[in-house]
Order: sequence, then structure tokens, then C-alpha cells
Amino acid sequence: MAAEHAAVAHNPNIGTTGLDHRKMGMWAFLGSECMFFGSLIGTYLAYKGKSINGPGPHEILNIPLTSVSAFVLLMSSLLMVLALAAVQRNDMKWGKIWLFLTAVFGAGFVGFQIFEFTHFVHLGLTLQTNLFGSTFFVLTGFHGAHVTGGVIWLLAMWWLAVRGKLGPQDSLKVEICGLYWHFVDIVWIVIFALVYLIP
Amino acid sequence: MATHAAFMPGTKVSAGSVIWSWITTVDHKRVGILYGVSAFFFFLVGGVEALIMRLQLAHPDSTLVTAGRFNELFTMHGTTMVFLAIMPMSAAFFNFMIPLMIGARDVAFPRLNALSYWIFFSGALLLHLSFLAGAVPDGGWFGYANLTSHQFSPTHSIDFWMLGLQVLGISSLMAGFNFIVTIINMRAPGMTLMRMPLFVWMSFVVQFLVVLAFPAITVALILLMFDRFFGTLFYAPSGGGDPLLWQHLFWIFGHPEVYILILPAMGIVSEVLPTFSRKPLFGAPVVIYSGIMIGFFGFGVWSHHMFSVGMGPVADSAFSIATMLIAVPTGVKILNWIGTLWGGRIRFSTPLYFSLGFIAMFTLGGLSGVMHASPPVDLQQTDSYFIVAHFHYVLFGGSIFGLFSGVYYWWPKIFGKLLDERLGKLHFWLMMIGFNVTFFPMHFLGLIGMPRRIYTYAPDLGWNFWNLVATIGAFTIALSFLVFLGNVVKTTRSGAPAPADPWDGRTLEWTIPSPPPVYNFAVEPVVHDRDDFWVQKYGDGHGTPPRKPSPPAHVDTSSIHMPPPSYWPILLAGAFLFMMSGALVSIYQVVLGAFLTLFCMIRFMLEYHRPAAGGHH
Amino acid sequence: MDSSHAAHAPAAHDEGHASVQTYIRVAVVLAILTAIEIGALYVPGLPKHVLVTLILIFGTMKFALVVAFFMHLRYDNKLLTVLFVGPLLIATGIILAIMALFGAYLLLARG
Repeated sequence: MAAEHAAVAHNPNIGTTGLDHRKMGMWAFLGSECMFFGSLIGTYLAYKGKSINGPGPHEILNIPLTSVSAFVLLMSSLLMVLALAAVQRNDMKWGKIWLFLTAVFGAGFVGFQIFEFTHFVHLGLTLQTNLFGSTFFVLTGFHGAHVTGGVIWLLAMWWLAVRGKLGPQDSLKVEICGLYWHFVDIVWIVIFALVYLIP
Repeated sequence: MATHAAFMPGTKVSAGSVIWSWITTVDHKRVGILYGVSAFFFFLVGGVEALIMRLQLAHPDSTLVTAGRFNELFTMHGTTMVFLAIMPMSAAFFNFMIPLMIGARDVAFPRLNALSYWIFFSGALLLHLSFLAGAVPDGGWFGYANLTSHQFSPTHSIDFWMLGLQVLGISSLMAGFNFIVTIINMRAPGMTLMRMPLFVWMSFVVQFLVVLAFPAITVALILLMFDRFFGTLFYAPSGGGDPLLWQHLFWIFGHPEVYILILPAMGIVSEVLPTFSRKPLFGAPVVIYSGIMIGFFGFGVWSHHMFSVGMGPVADSAFSIATMLIAVPTGVKILNWIGTLWGGRIRFSTPLYFSLGFIAMFTLGGLSGVMHASPPVDLQQTDSYFIVAHFHYVLFGGSIFGLFSGVYYWWPKIFGKLLDERLGKLHFWLMMIGFNVTFFPMHFLGLIGMPRRIYTYAPDLGWNFWNLVATIGAFTIALSFLVFLGNVVKTTRSGAPAPADPWDGRTLEWTIPSPPPVYNFAVEPVVHDRDDFWVQKYGDGHGTPPRKPSPPAHVDTSSIHMPPPSYWPILLAGAFLFMMSGALVSIYQVVLGAFLTLFCMIRFMLEYHRPAAGGHH
Repeated sequence: MDSSHAAHAPAAHDEGHASVQTYIRVAVVLAILTAIEIGALYVPGLPKHVLVTLILIFGTMKFALVVAFFMHLRYDNKLLTVLFVGPLLIATGIILAIMALFGAYLLLARG
């Protein structure tokens, strides 16, 4: 009985598989998000090439610029992993730096998106212009919203660390934040390929 | 911290503190009761909507309600029954019973669990605020585009529906994640997946269906929202959009949804039949695999709801074959249920009656379903009362009968009182007769040409007689519910207290008191078999002798820590509701609501971050 | 960034673990794959089906690298892989089905 109580008091978040509930829950959530983005991507592909009028993707997408932002997001995943590694080894100085930089890179990506969106509006592409406008803005917009949520989460973790309230005992929370962040990155890998690269 | 007592001894218990304890509860059992009471309330609401429709249709050329009002009635009846009655009633059982059946003291995420209830409540509220606003949804429970476009539905009625469903979807998703983790990660020692009770198995499959299907309707509704609020072209033919996109996305959700609606009831039946046959479930592993197959292949049949839209022979054939294939694991389950009864020492109790009713009625519904699986046959049947008959046989004759079987079966465990058997059986017979009198004639009506969703009909079409019969049946069903309500009132007042194991049960929930203490199990059970409690009592008939119950352990239950109550679930749900309903009011409310939601989310997530020494979540 | 960081040796984790070096190598591979993809767009006369195949394959590789290494799935309990890959396959199936139902596959064939 004492052993049982000790087990419960030890860490109630670890289950019978040895996995933390919250980590498992995040993976289940990411599986669900695959269906969410899958439906949006399916919609984009269903309507690809079917706009009645322009402008279309070939006229308006700026591949060089978007390649830079895609690269930024991709590298932010590296920064995230470095942040986690730092927190796990109790190197909170670098933990804070990497967390902050990840957020900065993420915010940079969102900044690129906002620039791209406003630029497209100037060029005559809005949500209502044609099917490309509707599908493009909604698909990339919801992705951007997910990135924004991730940036807020990262900044919150960073702020906790700054206040001395984040340490190696919280590395699971950083890991879970990281899982979300990497997912947002891999969704962009798919979107970048299907929307921007594939003609 | 309070343990088995609801309040610390000596606490002054006022009505306010009782209400507060329910509002801030994170106890899965209480959350289950909240879901159950809500579900039953909305079941009555949906039932009244049905009765009004039946009164209108009882006679030709009726003017009881207008056409517009009739559209609102069938829309709200369907939406309410699916999302506010059947799903939450299943959720009530998930919440109360899953931890008990796997030998756990709690769910994986108690506050998330409470949050999913309060968000459900918000969604139900938002949907019904439409009545106060005089803009009741009227586009059908399936909201086909482009009837739902701003052009053809200029009032807020579709907005209420769209936003309400979005909120309800979030609730279901959260609960789905919670139960997936709970079932994988919190089973008692020795309870391998194959030793898990069938109700838990079916619920497990359902949670995956939920988390994979709801995102599709979330997207469908988002696209609709953008069309209605921001003028996008997703479902707008004028801009090259295709209304069929809605149908595909909706039914990619909608078909798994119907399995979400039926599998819990199938799980209940798979518990009740063995208990009252005093035999194990025949071919339990096969029933489990069939459930998994139904869940998985349920993602591949959605366009059988669309045979009449002109998808072409390839698509029609593919979905037709897939649909017919799904009938196989379903049929396997039915045969296994019958095999369970065969040779058993049957005890004819009310729970068993409802499960038997389930088998019979669901089989009939399945037969009409297999008919629709053929596209040429479906072209005749689609959008006729033949379809109405089909889905009421599977959803009412199936889900509702199954859920009531669960109600009578688990009532003693949940409330500590036994329901009256005679009144229970009277309820059953009235409901069985009423149900068949209402819905069987609809097969005829469909075949002689009566379309769905019409608010009245001419007197010379030959539809008068069966419509009147159906209406009489509907009121008989209503009468049966009054009997049930009477049973509840009577036994709550003066019913016999229920023992821990009133049915000589097979699974772990019957090993603890009725109702269970807040911590469920004083001592964590160790499981050796499927139907472990039965084997413990009687051995397994294959050489394993009964286990002597261990002497009552002197467990110091006051040292069992259960998570404390929290007001963040209801606050976060309220903020979220404020934000979502802002879409109907002003952008400022949406923005303010978003900030409030973010604030509440952060506070919720940090509630147990770096707690004071001794606390844990 | 690289050299200053190589000095901070990562602590071994309970499960098998990738080192910081591995992460950096993965990041380099990701960058290279992306560069090739973009470069391929500017190759004159590259047949469309070759380009599309290359983009799809490289995209899949990048996806897999991030999931396996950055998200640690390669080193974690296999259950988590099942929990993610199952839904991923269903989502992919739904995308393909929608494409087929809306005649979108024609786009990939054309040109």
C-alpha cells in the first residue's frame, strides 16, 4: 500500500505504457490535425486550376520570397530542438535564447505571410476574387493562425523561463510545445510543395 | 481535501455551495451525470419537436404549422437528437463508466473533461439562443450548400447552426483526446487490451472516429462561415465553387458520425447480454475486431449519401461495394450476440429487454440500409420516407434502445437506487410498440412516393392512413417516456438502495459500492482475465478456480488525493462562447472574446504549473 | 551558431536520443533538399511529371525527417508512431479520394 501511494505520488501523469499522458494526448491531437489540414488541402486541390478568372498562382506567387520564409520556418524547428536539449540539460541561459529565437523565426514567418497577403490584395487577389483566392487565403491563413498560436505558446514558455519558473523538470512541457511547433512546420512543407512548387 | 464525503464533515452545505461544487467539479462521475441529465433534457426537446411534426403530418392539408416553421422543426429535431441527445448520452456513459471499467480512479485529464462538458453546454445554448433571436436554423441537420448561402438564407438562422455545431465539435474533440489517453494509459495492472470490456473497446473506437471525423465538419463549417461572412466562393456556383464540396466534407464527417452514434450502444449491448445470459460474450475477440473494422472502413463509404448527385458509375460502384462490405462485420456482431444468448441461463430483466429490442430493431434498420447500398435502388428510396424509416430504425431502434439498456443496467451503480422492474418493462413495451407503429409504416410511405421534409400533403395521394398511424405511434412513444420519468421519480423517493453488484455482474464496476466513492477504488484492482470479476467469483470453467476475495484491506482512504475542483473549465467555456457568439453581434465582441479565451487558456494551463509542495495534478 | 553550440554536449536522455550534431545534420539535409526543389523549378525543359515527382518525393522526405528526428518519433515508444501515422494515412486517403472525385488528378497529368 505504501508502494502504491508512492507510485501515485511520484508522477500521476505517467501511465501504464510509461508514456506521459500529455505527450500521448498531443500526438493524438496532431493526428486529428492531420485530418483538419487534410480537408483544407483536399479542398485546395479540388479547386486547383478551376478559377473562372485570374489572377492565378503562376501570375502572383513569389517563389523566391516564399522559399526564404519556408527556410526560416524549417530552421525554426532546429532552434526548437536546441531549446529542448538546453532545457533538458538545465542550461536555462541557452534554453531561453533558443526558445526566444524560435519564436522570433516563427514571427518572422508570420510577418512574411502578412506581407504576402497584403501584397496579393494590392495585386487584385482577395478572398472573393476567385477560387484560388478563397482556397489560398483560407488554407495558408489557417496555417498562419496555427503558427501564431505556436509563437504565443513559445513566448509564454520563454517568459516563464525568464521569471525563473521553467526548468529541466518542465522539459516535457517544452517537448510538447515542440511537437506542436514541428507539426506546424511539416504542414508547411506539404503546403509549400502543393501550393507553391507544383505548377 | 475531501475524499469520499462530498464535503468535509462539519461544512455548512448550502444550495449555493452544492451548485458551486457541480460547476467546478472535475470528477468524471459528476461530469457524466451532467452529460446524462443534459442529454435527457434535450431528448425531450427533440421529442416535442417530433411530436409537433407528427401532429402536422397526421392529416393532409394541415395548417398547424407553416412550411417555414416545419423546416425549423425537422432541422432542430435532427440536430438536437444527434448532437444534444444521443452523443451526450453516450458521453455520459463514457465519463461515468470507462474509468470504473478499466479499474482507474480518474480520467487522464480531469479538467479538460469538465471543459468539454461546459463547451458542450455552451454549444447547446448557442444553438437554442436562435429561438430567442427568432432565427431558428432551418436548413436541415445536414445544412446542404448552397441553400445555406447568404443569398438563400439571409437571416442569422444558419449562422446559429454553423457556430453552434462548431462549438459542439470542439467539445467532442476534447473528450476524444481525453478518453484515448485514458484507455491506453490508465488501465489497471493486468488489463491488457484484449481483456478490456467491450463497452470500453467500442468507446475506444468511437473516440478515434470522433477525433478523425470532426475535423472534416470543422473545415466544412469554416468554409461555410467564410462564404457567409467574407464572400468566399467555396460553395458558390457563380464563382466556380461546387455545392458538392459541402456534401463530401459533411459526409466524410457524417458517415463516421453514425458509427459514433451506434457503437456505444453496441458496446452496452455487448455488456448486458453476457450479464443476463450468465455466459461470456460469444467470440469476444471477433466482436472487438469487427468493431475496429466498422470504425476503419466507415471512413470509406461516405458518398453512399450522395448516390443521386451524379458522381458517375466509378464512384457510385466504389462506394456501393464498400458499403455492402461494412454490413459483414456488422452482421458478424449480430450473430455473436445471438450466440451469447444461445444456451444461456437468461434472466429477463429490463436492461436485457432493451438489448433484445436493440438487436431486433437494429437488424431491421440494417436490412433497409443494405437496400440503400445499391445505387439504382437508392435512386428510388433516397429523399423518401423509406430513408426516414431506415435511420430511425438504426438510431432509435438501435442507439436509443441500446442507451436505455445502459440506463437501466447502470442506474443502480450511478445513483445507488434500483429502478422499478415492472415500470421498466412497461416502458419497454410501450416504447417498442410505439416505435414500430411510428416508423414501420414509413417504409410503405416511402415506397408509395412520400418525399422527406414536406410539411403537408394532398389528401388524394394515399398517404393519409399511415401518416395518422405514425402519429399515434409517436404519442405512444411519448407515453412510454412518462412511464420512465415516473419510474425515476418513484424510485428516487422510495426505491430500494442498490447493492454493489445487483446483477451478478462480470466487470470491475460491480466490485465497488453503488454509488462509487469519489476515488472509485480503495485498492487498485489487479486483473487476470476478461470478465475478471466473474472469474474472481466463479472461476472461468476451464480450471481457474474462484479467487477468494481478499480480506477487506484497511486502506486509509483519507490519504487518496483526488484532483481539486476548478473554475477554469467553466470560465474558459464562457469566454469561448462569448467569442463565437460575437460573430453574430460585432467584430469587437469576437476580438475581446478571443483575448478572454486566450487569457483563460493560459490560466487553465498554468493552474498546476509549479504547484506548492504536496499538490499535484 | 554551430561551433559555439558543439561545445555544449547534450545530456543523454532516458530513451535513445539524437545528439545536437544529428539535429544539425538533419537541418542541413532539409536545407539542401529544399534548395534542390526550388532549383528544379528553374531547370529549363524539365518535364512536368519529373518535377512533380521530385517535389513530392523530397517533400515526403523532409516531412519524414522532421517527424522522425525533430519530433523524436524514431526514438520513442512505437505506440506514438501508430497514433500519428494511422490518422496521417487516413488523411492522405481522404485527400486522394477528394482529388479523384473532383477530377483534380487531371492537373497532375496535364502539361
